[in-house]
Amino acid sequence: MNWLIDFFADPARWSGPYGIPMRLLEHLEFSALALFLAALIAVPLGLLIGHTGRGHLVVVVSANLARAIPTLGVLVLFVLLLGTASIWPVIIPLVLLAVPPILVNTFEGIRGVDPELRDAAYGMGLRGGQVLGQVLVPVALPLILLGLRLSAIQVVATTTVAAYTGLGGLGRFVIDGFATQDYSSVFGGSVLIVLFALVVQFGFTLVQRVTVSPGVSRRLKVREQSPARRGNN
Amino acid sequence: MGDGPPSLWEWTARNWDTGRAGSIRDLLGDHLLMSLVPIVAGLALALPLGLACIRWRWLYQPTAALFNVLYALPSLPLFMMLISVTGLSPVTVIIPLTFYAAAVLIPAVVDGIRAVPEHVRQSAVAMGFTPLRRLIRVELPIAAPVVIAGLRVVAVSSISLVSVGALIGQGGLGMLFTRAYQNPFLPPVIVGIALIVLLALVADGLLVLAQRLLTPWERARRTT
Amino acid sequence: MDRRSLWVQQIMVRSWQGVAAPPESERSRVITFDAVTKRYPDGTVAVDRLSLEARTGETTVLVGPSGCGKTTSLRMINRMIDPTEGRILLDDAPVESVDPAVLRRGIGYVIQQAGLFPHRKVLDNIATVPYLLGWDRKRARGRAMDLLERVGLDSALAERYPFQLSGGQQQRVGVARALAADPPVLLMDEPFSAVDPVVRTSLQDELVRLQAELNKTIVFVTHDIDEAIKLGDRVAVLRVGGELAQFADPKTLLTEPADDFVREFLGRDRGIRRLQFVSTRGLKLRTDLTVQEGTDGHGDEPWLLATTADGRPAGWVARGRPGELEPAGTFRHGRDSMRAALDAALLSPSGHAVAVDEQGKVVGVATRQALDEALTETADG
Repeated sequence: MNWLIDFFADPARWSGPYGIPMRLLEHLEFSALALFLAALIAVPLGLLIGHTGRGHLVVVVSANLARAIPTLGVLVLFVLLLGTASIWPVIIPLVLLAVPPILVNTFEGIRGVDPELRDAAYGMGLRGGQVLGQVLVPVALPLILLGLRLSAIQVVATTTVAAYTGLGGLGRFVIDGFATQDYSSVFGGSVLIVLFALVVQFGFTLVQRVTVSPGVSRRLKVREQSPARRGNN
Repeated sequence: MGDGPPSLWEWTARNWDTGRAGSIRDLLGDHLLMSLVPIVAGLALALPLGLACIRWRWLYQPTAALFNVLYALPSLPLFMMLISVTGLSPVTVIIPLTFYAAAVLIPAVVDGIRAVPEHVRQSAVAMGFTPLRRLIRVELPIAAPVVIAGLRVVAVSSISLVSVGALIGQGGLGMLFTRAYQNPFLPPVIVGIALIVLLALVADGLLVLAQRLLTPWERARRTT
Repeated sequence: MDRRSLWVQQIMVRSWQGVAAPPESERSRVITFDAVTKRYPDGTVAVDRLSLEARTGETTVLVGPSGCGKTTSLRMINRMIDPTEGRILLDDAPVESVDPAVLRRGIGYVIQQAGLFPHRKVLDNIATVPYLLGWDRKRARGRAMDLLERVGLDSALAERYPFQLSGGQQQRVGVARALAADPPVLLMDEPFSAVDPVVRTSLQDELVRLQAELNKTIVFVTHDIDEAIKLGDRVAVLRVGGELAQFADPKTLLTEPADDFVREFLGRDRGIRRLQFVSTRGLKLRTDLTVQEGTDGHGDEPWLLATTADGRPAGWVARGRPGELEPAGTFRHGRDSMRAALDAALLSPSGHAVAVDEQGKVVGVATRQALDEALTETADG
């Protein structure tokens, strides 16, 4: 407990390139960048494969394989091969590991939409792109967001580990602290990372609340149903 | 043996069983232990909790919420925070991994049992099965595929996650990664990744096999 | 290009302009199947050389057992499926010459589970095609509100989401949605099969009423022969394998089934069901069997009909039991069918049916003898 107080109370911690604000910012930037790039690749790909039904083997393979690949191993591999001159040798594996959850869930989301709904949409005269954008995506949104959320978990965790291979971020408190037996740094850093992860998750919950139609999440009170149902048939 | 740096195979062969601690074989053993225990312990935790959530429906929301929060937390800080309790031992890695496993398996158990068709459950009741018998003889076998699907995810994830423990000196095959980073050398990394992926594939395959064995009726349906 | 009907051309032009359909006078809506065949790669024939014509303003029903190709045929009209051989024409323009999306915006499509967009409110669901055609929001929503009431739903439902509605309500919304852009053609694929019988009956009645107002060319698919007979102006009975067994109006179908298959498919009680189509206008009524309630004396007749002060039937009185009223079965003279009259007679202990007018006041009594005579005439005629 004392370690925590030591950590947060120390004014030196709150300024400078190795201070809490800086590390927090770095962690946020790297995570956001990796998630953004992963989404840029995976969402359109998932939509395309889900909508056309072609190439779903890619999804299956990527899903199974990605989970098996050890993050630390891949990070070290890339850094050994490409050096530490820029952040890219670290960002690239970060992105690659973040793609599968988004890809799989986006694909499943589109796939999972009731075929009758798809039929009705086409039957009314919507074209492929319109069906995707106006009908499939809004209905699949919960799963797409789930994929993004799972990927975010992955990204925040991997960014933490990436501190080992030279990336900045909150992981540095933990890794550097561990190496120098600076336990206040280790604990303080750990607490910060946990809080950061929780805030990110909460953020996603909010996004879900705001963007998913109540008709899809069925959040409205059941009470509203009764009068309508009992009315005319 | 040449004078230059060893090739991948040479290095592997040389380090497989050095007699000292830290041989690849040793690390593999550690790795297996640290992945298997969470899988089993996770299931042991998830089964009663999952069944409780089915028995008392109001329990599910808070339980799922709690475990989802745990699942969202990166492993490294969790390892670090546990050191003060469990020291620098495999247990430090096993505990968080167990909770990750449970986070996946509790919904799997709940969904699996909920997937049992109501009319099947009612028939069992009508035939005089006691709740326990019903569970073991009827509901769990039918829920098996869903649970096993969860187990496959857990197995692969656990095997992969153990390697992060290398950052506290308890990483099984993950130690190869830290070694390779400290003394820059490619073969350990490649061997480490390859063995871990191989382990994951084997575990996945075994579970698929287990599912085939446990649900012979599925097999029959496939052949008709 | 030049062979397209005026209507189809107008749809295309107007969909660009943001208007739905051309005015009444320009619209023609005959759907023609010309030796249409649908064969799948594995050899199954879903539709086999189907030729028929769905006439303007009529309800044409496609009915038959599973695998008879009725749904496949319907879906070839709006090009959800394309035929292997033969053509489908809208007036004289083959549907294959029109862009599918444009075609479908001019055709209403109602399916079994309604297929409402769960993420949109009811009103926006109904306004889907108008939005697609570029109508301005206010106009589209106004039209949607109109239709909501037209299909018999409370306007309060407009801001609800589909999941908050019952199955029957969702189906009505589905119909409203199909009608939103005022298409001349309406395709309905077993729209009422997924709701319970009570709801189904009210939906069927609603459709009959709507059609009387709107006069669309409707092609309706069902597996239920009674629904077909109730709703169809003409009914096409299809065999498994997609072959047309008979195409006729319901009355002809019931009196002259083309072969054993049709006869069996029609089921039992064909004779009685046929009576639905026989009018009671010519039924002879007796007016001397009616007395005011409370009158003393009975006379020679075994049964007399007691009426209330304003002329409504109160019940039957037997000769030996004054004051005891037995229930009287009624039918609307001229409006209801012989089947209803017979039914009314069977419900009365007297064996006579009470004829009433639109207000429910007694017009006369159709005695057993009168009914008997009428039935004999029908059988002969």
